[in-house]
Amino acid sequence: MADALVIKKLNKRFGGLRAVQDVSFTVRENETLALIGPNGAGKTTAFNLIMGFHRPDEGSVTAFGTEIVGMRPYQVCAQGLARTFQVAKPFGGMTVLDNVMTGAFLHYRNPEEARDKAREVIEFVGLSARESTAARDITTIDQRRLEMARALATQPKILLLDEVMAGLNPSEVDQAVALIDKLSGSGLTIVIVEHLMRAIMAVSKHIVVLDHGQKIAEGNPKDVMANPEVIRAYLGSYAHSPNGGVA
Amino acid sequence: MRWVIGLIAAVAVLIALPLVVESAFAIDICIRILLFSFIGVAWNLMGGYAKQLSLGHAAYFGLGAYTSTILQINYDISPWIGMVAGGCVAMLASLPIGWLCFRLRGPYFTIATIATAQALMLIFLKFRDFAWGAEGTTIPNLGNAPLMMQFEEKAGYYYVVLGLLALALAINYKIEKSWMGYYLVAIGEDEDAAEAVGINAPRIKRDIYLISSFLTALAGTFYVQYIYFIDPATAFSFNVSIEAALVSIVGGIGTLWGPVIGTVLLETTSALLQSWLGSGIGGIQLTIYSLILMAVILWRPTGIMGYFYELAARRRARLVKA
Amino acid sequence: MVGTIIQAVINGLLIGGIYALVSIGVTLIFGVVKIVNFAQGEFVMIGMYISFFLSTQLGIDPIVSLVVTMPVLFVVGVLVQHFLIRRVLGPNDMPQIFLTFALSLLLLNLSLMLFTANYRTVHTWYSDEAFHFAGLYVPYAKLIAFVVAMALSGCLWVFLRTTDLGKAMRAASQNRDVASLMGINPDRVFAVAFGLALALAGAAGSLLMPFQSAYPFVGQVFVLMAFIAVVLGTLGNVIGALVASLLMGIAESLGIQFVGADSGLLVVFVMFLLTLVFKPNGLGGGKAR
Repeated sequence: MADALVIKKLNKRFGGLRAVQDVSFTVRENETLALIGPNGAGKTTAFNLIMGFHRPDEGSVTAFGTEIVGMRPYQVCAQGLARTFQVAKPFGGMTVLDNVMTGAFLHYRNPEEARDKAREVIEFVGLSARESTAARDITTIDQRRLEMARALATQPKILLLDEVMAGLNPSEVDQAVALIDKLSGSGLTIVIVEHLMRAIMAVSKHIVVLDHGQKIAEGNPKDVMANPEVIRAYLGSYAHSPNGGVA
Repeated sequence: MRWVIGLIAAVAVLIALPLVVESAFAIDICIRILLFSFIGVAWNLMGGYAKQLSLGHAAYFGLGAYTSTILQINYDISPWIGMVAGGCVAMLASLPIGWLCFRLRGPYFTIATIATAQALMLIFLKFRDFAWGAEGTTIPNLGNAPLMMQFEEKAGYYYVVLGLLALALAINYKIEKSWMGYYLVAIGEDEDAAEAVGINAPRIKRDIYLISSFLTALAGTFYVQYIYFIDPATAFSFNVSIEAALVSIVGGIGTLWGPVIGTVLLETTSALLQSWLGSGIGGIQLTIYSLILMAVILWRPTGIMGYFYELAARRRARLVKA
Repeated sequence: MVGTIIQAVINGLLIGGIYALVSIGVTLIFGVVKIVNFAQGEFVMIGMYISFFLSTQLGIDPIVSLVVTMPVLFVVGVLVQHFLIRRVLGPNDMPQIFLTFALSLLLLNLSLMLFTANYRTVHTWYSDEAFHFAGLYVPYAKLIAFVVAMALSGCLWVFLRTTDLGKAMRAASQNRDVASLMGINPDRVFAVAFGLALALAGAAGSLLMPFQSAYPFVGQVFVLMAFIAVVLGTLGNVIGALVASLLMGIAESLGIQFVGADSGLLVVFVMFLLTLVFKPNGLGGGKAR
């Protein structure tokens, strides 16, 4: 398998805060990589750096061999990367179908074709019943589905999912996991930021752990979970007590 | 099918109108309605669909007015050509102005557009050698000269501005139905999300600004030909910027017919006021306008068209249930 | 030559003090309530008319009439916030921009109807008096206005630093959630911020009255200046707005002196546009990416 996304020595400061420090990792084609870490570890910042929403102070990101640092978000998208936002950003006044069509227009400028493509994706994520509802009137969970559909409509090769499962109930998590499996089965490379361990274990064989902006561990789920650094990071305030290790 | 017949009937009525109506006052009001509808549609393309809330469109109105007048008086060039030239000057001006103003978002974009339009007015006030300074100039009356965009009968002007409005509506319709229309609305809703799905927001905003300023400039040329006079205060009047936005918001921001409906409502109100109270009381027109605007914003932020859409949606929902 | 420059700088500095009162109000509202008040200049105009009528009807000195204009406009501000602004707060820009814009149009045109477009002037004993010093000329009226304006700005600064309500406002201007976490009712904070901003505008009106005529359009000059100063001084920053206002006053005055009497505003606009070119990142427009 070839490398899909190569991140090298990524750095970003916000004022005095080093949000991301020397982070490097490689996502291989058609794998699902999970980016985990405690709140404020720099996961969303890393997404924003990759997608061109912030410009890194240093470092390089290449997608299928093309350097994408310095590109604006729409250019990154044209390179075959699509993302969802942690807080869904639907185009509230537009219907679900129109929302997804804006994504489909990237490759199909004809409205009829775009509409057909959009309907395919909407069906794929299971939103067909809501097709002509205004995006602001659907549930938060449906809005996350919509985000995914809109991103998929741009026909990405790499999909970055930012906490798409937060707040879902167990059966909805199962649905989401199944959806991600289905996407992966179709050949997509996926980077997922997630808190829910159960879901991460289900979808990903490759985990990168961030803490305070730095990569502290990388590997398969079992090794990563056994890593003392990871345990310390996750247990936060218990870290200093000698017998704090619950795991 | 029904709406096609309706449209044909409406066009027929509009074409026949000057033949039936004899009162010059009434025709004048019709011309004002068509003109401000046209300016409103031009504004709405950018301000309504893409939510780039400019209050500086007087800049392009004025550039259109001055370009055609300078060409006509100094070089004897027909305002028909001057009109297109004015549109091109406006498009050229919109590039640097847009480059500056689009760096800002939200209310500060609005302020920057006001500042650029005011700066342009000040420039024209100051340079009298270039364009008659603050006194302005009258445009020579050539009698009935359709080739110079001058008509003895007001009906002539009526048809010109009716044609302009039809053009703007056609352009608007085409854009609304194409990818561009979707992209504009997406940018207006959330620029970051729009860029994330591959929309080149800066370019789309630049392009729609070009179109919007071109159309606004045509209105400027028409207006000075209609009133036979130009000075900076008229050509760059802040009221033009205000009314362009106002009619769109009242009628329904980001809708094809919104600006037209808004203009009909506002201009009719203003004409009625004028015939009841005379034009003696300064400020009454804008007092009423601002009250209407406040009422719309507080109770119907989607405007009159938005209200219709809601009603239609509710009726559809009821039909589905039944 | 040097004397002329110093004189122009002094003139600009003095008027800049008034701009500062207006722009601090704009920046306070922007910082706390997160809206741009397009009607701020019209409240200066209202302050001027109140002072004018108090002076002509009751013989109260315009500067003394501060004690009336400030509380009156404070109450107006609280009411405006409570009955109008509160209803359009939200993620959408359009209603916010056009509500205060409509308010500005309404006040301007109402006063055109009520007071006509005539210029109203108040003549005080110090209106024509000036203080001469080394060939320089400092009119008393402007000097008093400047000193009072600076004193009021200072009071506001102290208020924001030392009182709980003031600290809540500063917190709110940095982060809305922090303020509500502190257990402070945001509606109350917003209402007081709006009231204070309008009280400053009213004060500016009273201070202007001894040397500036009142007419319905008078506020527009000030509000444009204020907007520009607020952008230059970085949004939501009181000290920044103050310094920028003084600089704008000086720039305008130098423009009048060296480019021509009607060029003051043009110089200011050019400065504004140049700032947009060279300092785009400081001008986030409230929603910097």
